[in-house]
Amino acid sequence: MINLRDKGASIWENWSPPARSSFVLIVITLVALLPYAGDFGPTSFLNTPISSYQAVLVYPIALFVLMGLGLNIVVGKSGLLDLGYVAFFAIGAYTMGIMGTMTSLNTWEILPFGIFFAMLAGLLLGLPALRLRGDYLAIVTLGFGEIVRIIALNLQVTGGPNGVVGVPTPPPILGQKFELDDHKAYFWVILIMILLVIWMVRRFTVRRPGRAWEAIRQDEDVAALMGVNLLVYKLWSFTIGAAVGGAGGVIYASKTMFIAPDMFTFNTSILVLACVVFGGLGNIWGVILGASILAYLPERIRFISNARQLVFGLVLLVIMNVRPDGLLPRKKREKIKQKEAK
Amino acid sequence: MNKKIQRSLAVVSAATLLFGVSAVSSAGAAQKTVYLAFQAPLTGANALTGQDELTAAKFALSEYNATNPSVKVELVIADDQGLAEVAAVVAPGIAANKKVIGLIGPAFSGATQASLPAYKATGLPMISMSATRVSLTDKKAPVNGFPIFKRVVANDKFQGPALARYAIKGVSSPSVYLVDDKTAYGKGLADYTKPSIVRDAKIAGSDSVPENTSDYTSVVAKVKASGANVVIYCGYAPDAAKFVKALRDGGYTGIFAAGDGVLKATFPNNAGNTAAEGARLTAADVPFEDVATAAQMVAYTKLTGIKVPGSYVTSTYNATNIFLTCIKQGVTTRPGMQNCITAGSFKGIAGDTIKFDRYGDIIGGAAVGAFTIKAGKIVYLGVA
Amino acid sequence: MNLQVLESQFWSLCLQGVALGFIYVLISLGYTMVYGVLRLINFANSEVFMVGTFATVVAQVGILQNETNSQSLHGFRLIYTLTFALIFSMLVCGFLGVLVELVAYRRLRSLGAKPLGFLISAIAVSIVLLETIRIVTYSRPQTSPRLLDKWSFGEFAGANFRIDTVMVIISGIVIFFTLDRFVTKTRLGKAIRAVSMSEEISKLMGINLNRVVSLTFFIGGLTTGAAAFFYTTVYETTQFNVGFNLGLAAFTTAVLGGIGNLRGAFYGGMFLGVLEQFASAILGSQWKSVTVFTVLVLVLLLKPNGIFGEAVQQTRT
Repeated sequence: MINLRDKGASIWENWSPPARSSFVLIVITLVALLPYAGDFGPTSFLNTPISSYQAVLVYPIALFVLMGLGLNIVVGKSGLLDLGYVAFFAIGAYTMGIMGTMTSLNTWEILPFGIFFAMLAGLLLGLPALRLRGDYLAIVTLGFGEIVRIIALNLQVTGGPNGVVGVPTPPPILGQKFELDDHKAYFWVILIMILLVIWMVRRFTVRRPGRAWEAIRQDEDVAALMGVNLLVYKLWSFTIGAAVGGAGGVIYASKTMFIAPDMFTFNTSILVLACVVFGGLGNIWGVILGASILAYLPERIRFISNARQLVFGLVLLVIMNVRPDGLLPRKKREKIKQKEAK
Repeated sequence: MNKKIQRSLAVVSAATLLFGVSAVSSAGAAQKTVYLAFQAPLTGANALTGQDELTAAKFALSEYNATNPSVKVELVIADDQGLAEVAAVVAPGIAANKKVIGLIGPAFSGATQASLPAYKATGLPMISMSATRVSLTDKKAPVNGFPIFKRVVANDKFQGPALARYAIKGVSSPSVYLVDDKTAYGKGLADYTKPSIVRDAKIAGSDSVPENTSDYTSVVAKVKASGANVVIYCGYAPDAAKFVKALRDGGYTGIFAAGDGVLKATFPNNAGNTAAEGARLTAADVPFEDVATAAQMVAYTKLTGIKVPGSYVTSTYNATNIFLTCIKQGVTTRPGMQNCITAGSFKGIAGDTIKFDRYGDIIGGAAVGAFTIKAGKIVYLGVA
Repeated sequence: MNLQVLESQFWSLCLQGVALGFIYVLISLGYTMVYGVLRLINFANSEVFMVGTFATVVAQVGILQNETNSQSLHGFRLIYTLTFALIFSMLVCGFLGVLVELVAYRRLRSLGAKPLGFLISAIAVSIVLLETIRIVTYSRPQTSPRLLDKWSFGEFAGANFRIDTVMVIISGIVIFFTLDRFVTKTRLGKAIRAVSMSEEISKLMGINLNRVVSLTFFIGGLTTGAAAFFYTTVYETTQFNVGFNLGLAAFTTAVLGGIGNLRGAFYGGMFLGVLEQFASAILGSQWKSVTVFTVLVLVLLLKPNGIFGEAVQQTRT
């Protein structure tokens, strides 16, 4: 079977820097134009029945891509099984909700707070949990995800089951307004965040943290023997992943103007994880592709109505059986690099 | 000559007018279709509610279509799973669909809250059949549904006190244990029931048991330890059934009362006749089979295959008919629908008058009915 | 904080906690055995349980034609009805377990996929099972008829010894004991233990790996099916979404006891069941899950391999 990723990688390597830059710019422009694709003739098959195509682009598609990239740092790059990623998303959203309604700060000002609190949560969770072995870590993170949701459900300050209403929308930035029925602006904001995260991850990957993560992922014991401080690097990846989730949460709360505990369930954690695995663990393009497909599919097949989720499960099952390493697996790329090194 | 010309002119102009008018009306006589949207959970954990409500909307529509109207009405069905995050993508889609001139729903309060921005921005009139959160029509709430949100069901502010009153009726020295299911609906109702209990009786204790819990023994233990003789449950039928069964098995002999989320056939069916016997239920919604004529019930069963309608069927039927009444009066646009609903006076199937106040509730409050369970059947007793 | 309830209802809560704990234990065996053999989390087990509850209802209502509001049964009819429902549920879940393995795990095993791939595959099967049952039952809860009259043996220290609670505890002990003997004494049981210790060596010793794996899933399904029967008998109601909460509790049980450790799961289940009851009574039912998870984290911090440890290199099942 053709490994799309390797093919892509080999083509990429043959291009000169100007060719690369222009290619990147073209791709980014095309993606930024996606909100218009629903109405544009040739691409209108992309339109989702019933639900708004542009709203779907923001959530779940763009936000799942963002969260997938964040979770990828934790699961894909470092091999840490996190089943409660939605907790960081929720923390970011509630930060926006509570601070947005209680203080006079706007979305952009609250964004750093949201990221901070999510990172803090990641740190607090990671300190005890990351010492545990893989499968135990899974259940602890799962528990944490549920704990965050239940605390949000039980406490008065988070509004209990009624949640937080009246979360303010972002103020205009660089002249771009955020209207109630205009989803494009949010899409572009998240697109910028996605690009930032991609850039950040690539920088990390080629440097010490990335190599440490790779070593931890492959074999923890060997990595420790080689002098990698396991806890520190695991915490790094955990908190960075949490930060990305938190940022997404802030934008999400600001867009929907209303958040409630039942928006942050275990299902979301699993879906984001499925995006990462489905696309191809550990590599950015796989995650983007996987998240786009898995987030888009249930909305696109709304015409099936009752059996929608069933079809989704069947598709996921079939794909996992046919391509268990994901749509764009990573393995062979390292071998190519090794060959070239020789 | 002049008169002849005048007369022929008159004839010609009359003819032109006649032809012109008939030309216009024959263009109008060509079938026009308007669309009503229906938003409720149709898949997912809350699908039961939405599916029950959908039968009512379809039935109302079938009655309308049977009269061979000049304006056809079709339903655009939007499944929001009762979840705010799904509503947040569904609502913009419906709002942007220019053909839709009215929305029946959303069914759930959380989904309504999340849908408001999109519907307010496009002025789509909404009549909800089951969203009971008080803040949606509260003029003091930070975000309410004004001006487009209306509902045909009594909100918790009315149901709460009625529930408390009915639950302690006839009980000497009532000691009440209040339980909610930690959903927006259950907690909301409990919050509005509590002040009345505190005022008229004694609170023995309270607990919040999350929805879908299987094991109620610890709650039962607490109820017994507190010595309560009245238990009020704010939640939905499946959990109420489990709870009342556990109470009776645990030896509790006092009163069991609950709100409209429990007023479904599921409750006596799942709890068993003995456990459910004598339960006191209130509802802002009268069972459809009690208010519909026999002929209507036959037609309903024929259309949907259901013999005993589920919950909120009456309120959904009323909501749909309000839209249909306005369409019969010639409304074909959203602003027109908004004006018609806001200003108009309508008749519910039980013969009650429905007129909306400024913020969307029914003037005079929707009546809260009192029910009890006798031999596994829901029996309507009258107004609570 | 409601401590007086704890005083007056202490033994009652304990008893109920133990009974509930047994249900958790039986489900957790589905997780722990599969983990022991494959080192993989059998994520679909929660939905296998859910299917088992419906199988029980089908056995009682559909096959044996009992009405939902019928009189409870007595004597011989009661015994054979319950036994039939139990065995039916166990077999349905057993074979479903084998099917889950074939569909979700078999191919990925032969391809040598990564553990996360298995997890997602199992999750996909979970979704398929859940949605199928949801569509078939129209999202409605299903009641099981009260065949067993819930009379009580009597009260002892405030604890009400009801027949269904006692039945669950006794049957749970019997099943667990049988399984334990099976795994330690029989050839097949030893084969399972051998595979869980080392796949390579087992293959060298001529053990058919696929057969052992299928058998493990089958046994896990049997115990899960038994748990489903007990659950339905005690609570008399089920719905398409009961799997999640119970599966999570069972998985927690398995981890608490040391995942892969059969006997550890037993104590883990008891502990969890009682802890839940106490937490509900003292703090309020809405804090139950939070308490359980906090305790789990604390236990894992102090004893990272579970209360009884994983016993990886020692005799384990």
